[in-house]
Amino acid sequence: MSESPLVLMKDIVKRFPGVLANDHVTFELRRGEVHALLGENGAGKTTLMNILYGLYKPDSGEIYVKGRKANIRSPRDAIRLGIGMVHQHFRLIPTHTVTENIILGLKEAGFVINYKKMNEEIKRLAESYGWKINPDARMWQLSAGEKQQVEILKALYRKAEILILDEPTSVLTPQETRALFRAVRRMAEEGKGVIFITHKLEEVMEVSDRVTVMRKGRVVVTKNTRDTNPQELANYMVGRPVIFEIEKKELQPGDPVAVIKDLYAMSDKGVLALKGVNLEVRRNEILGLAGVTGNGQVELVEVITGLRKAVKGRVIIDGKDVTNRSPREIMELGVAYIPPETLRWGVVPSLRVVDNLFLKAYRYPPFSKSAVIDWKKVYEKAEELIREFEIITPSPFVKTRTLSGGNIQRLILARELSGIIGGGVPKLIVAAYPTKGLDVGATEFVLKTLVKYRDMGSGVLLVSEDLEEILRVSDRVAVIFDGKIMGVFKSSEADIEEIGLLMAGVKEKAKAG
Amino acid sequence: MALLPIRFERRLTYTRTAAILTTILAILLAFGAVAILFIILGLDVAAAFQTILNVFITPRLFFQAVVRGVPITLAALGLAIAFRMNFWNIGAEGQIYMGAFASTGIVLAHIYYGFLPEVLVLPTMFLTAFLAGGAWCLLPAVLKAKLNVNEILTTLMMNFIAILWVAYLIYGPWRDPEGFGFPLSIPFPDYAKFLFIAGNQAYTGFTITLIVAALIYLLFRYGKLGFELTVIGQSLDAARYAGINIAKAIVLGAFLSGGLAGIGGLSILSGIIGRLRPDLSPGYGYTAIIVSFLAALNPWLIVPAGIFFGGLFTAGEALQATLKIPGAAVEMFQSIIFIFIIFGEFLKRYRIVVGGGGSGG
Repeated sequence: MSESPLVLMKDIVKRFPGVLANDHVTFELRRGEVHALLGENGAGKTTLMNILYGLYKPDSGEIYVKGRKANIRSPRDAIRLGIGMVHQHFRLIPTHTVTENIILGLKEAGFVINYKKMNEEIKRLAESYGWKINPDARMWQLSAGEKQQVEILKALYRKAEILILDEPTSVLTPQETRALFRAVRRMAEEGKGVIFITHKLEEVMEVSDRVTVMRKGRVVVTKNTRDTNPQELANYMVGRPVIFEIEKKELQPGDPVAVIKDLYAMSDKGVLALKGVNLEVRRNEILGLAGVTGNGQVELVEVITGLRKAVKGRVIIDGKDVTNRSPREIMELGVAYIPPETLRWGVVPSLRVVDNLFLKAYRYPPFSKSAVIDWKKVYEKAEELIREFEIITPSPFVKTRTLSGGNIQRLILARELSGIIGGGVPKLIVAAYPTKGLDVGATEFVLKTLVKYRDMGSGVLLVSEDLEEILRVSDRVAVIFDGKIMGVFKSSEADIEEIGLLMAGVKEKAKAG
Repeated sequence: MALLPIRFERRLTYTRTAAILTTILAILLAFGAVAILFIILGLDVAAAFQTILNVFITPRLFFQAVVRGVPITLAALGLAIAFRMNFWNIGAEGQIYMGAFASTGIVLAHIYYGFLPEVLVLPTMFLTAFLAGGAWCLLPAVLKAKLNVNEILTTLMMNFIAILWVAYLIYGPWRDPEGFGFPLSIPFPDYAKFLFIAGNQAYTGFTITLIVAALIYLLFRYGKLGFELTVIGQSLDAARYAGINIAKAIVLGAFLSGGLAGIGGLSILSGIIGRLRPDLSPGYGYTAIIVSFLAALNPWLIVPAGIFFGGLFTAGEALQATLKIPGAAVEMFQSIIFIFIIFGEFLKRYRIVVGGGGSGG
């Protein structure tokens, strides 16, 4: 191909305080290809793409779009050049319709909007990628997968030829992922270029034509996908052979630390999300909660930790009835909580690392006396926690948002598990999607830490959408579907096929395990 | 539908130096615009500017600036607490009036019933002004915390109630019987005025603002409450997750915020005008909002910013008195400066791009 590439980023350098996020990165996207951008969290993938999309300004380096030098200073510039980006976190207005979201800010829409025409256009565009979307539906009515389709349509409707997808599968079910891959292949056939940011090796193998691997801000290699394999890519990504095994002691589970009896609760939308959940988590065991996202998992952990009211039923922790008690009372009983959507619930991104480490413990001795916080003690302990949980940060005083996802999760583990809140090992650890969006190294750290605390006597409730992960670390597995527990198994005796059917709500199993 | 080939782009970063320079530039440009206004009005620009400058270099006038800066600063310090937790208290004006009302009540009660030793009158006024201002902010805070009622509307509407309440008192039961029918209260005796430091209202008032600024600094630097308010302001969800009692913190923070504005009301009576009047504040409570933001909610910067704005009020009066500039022109002069400063704040966050195609997106 003599034609100039769709995108050429040359020698891009981007420095953040204390980190070299992009170190002379060169990246090329050709017409008609799906190009996977692979790397651990914090490798600099998203930074590079944010530069291409005009969200960051590179310190040095040049960008060429379709052979012409481009000065991209804002997303507006990027959109004009035909670049579209779909972020990990959707930027849609929940109360607006699909069409309204798509044409928002679009000048061509004019002053008087012809909704009928636009609805038709959007519907046709969606259908050409095999998607069925009702243009009049409101965003809050859509599933995560459909919202993502709207984000992609938004870019395509603006005539994007270069499409950046930032970890697009992290919110999707397996079926939705397959549909996305088909659409992405279709876009490539039309001559568009798709950049697919991911840290999942199977996805790279399945969907991409070429792959660029980044590590610590640098490009390690760019290869044709058919000339490589997952093991090789993993080695490039981590810089060392990856060990997928997690060692676990054989332990006899102890008394129950959490007993959930016939629990009912509403979702945010006011419908019943939990419909009579019964569960038991025991000392020295990890209970994995498997299920497709949105079947009541988040509501369940929120009721247990006091963030959501139960309509009916009981939550008993360490023998005490804590149903509908405040989050603070429950945490003081020794319940550690690793929340989903880290940046929303788990940390305050605009505050310092040390503030987030002590987001709960600031109120307890020895870190404060009466109304006054003893920052000297806090700083000392923070340094210690940063070492112990291997949080990579230039100092405890940088803004938490500058940390990578894996390091933010380590920060949360340090805060929840180190005993600064109640003192001692937590009795119950509620971990909701603790590895979501994390790279291999950070995932390993999180899972190992959970196993370590399980060995030390905690009971762990691990919610995950990754069935393999659950089977790897859990002692027992419970399957949730539509707000009910469909069955409980010993991990060693679990049958993946059967669990899959339960997750899909096809059948219910008599209680076991 | 761009009528002008101008658009605003969010700045990705801006340095502290650039921020300070922007503020200074905004003030200079404001004075440029004021000069044009004066020329249009056929005024002697040099003389007018000399008058304004005199406020900041003549000790007697500068004392006036400080005295007027005190209520602005106190209210702005209170607002800094509220704004830190994203509680948009724009009711400082009403809280000032309630503080003034409560402190006058103590003075009158003392004069008529003499139930307190004289030395305790001023401390009691401090306490009641604080409680009254705080209480005035409490209702919006409770509505916000319990029912999620928008505090911008409630705090604003509470202003009118407070202002009219004071007007009622001063045209009715609290009018000075020997005041020839003017809507004024009995003049405050000296023991109810800010004379306890060097016998001077400027020194006394300034010292009070420094003490309050230090307290606010300590609250946010070392206080558990300060930490909680900061977390609430940055992320309500994380605050809930952390087990912070959000309703309690909001109510407490709002009470402190209103209380300080109440002290500001006291400082107008005891520190400037010496009696209750229906027009006791020319909008200090609104100016305080600008001061608080201009100082980026930093208590130590709020003090000089408050005095600067106090100086603008003083300059306005001086212009009226010496150059016979109409009162409306003086208000325009102040408004122009406010607008430029607000625009400067905007420019710290956005840059203007002229032309450049500007397609939609």
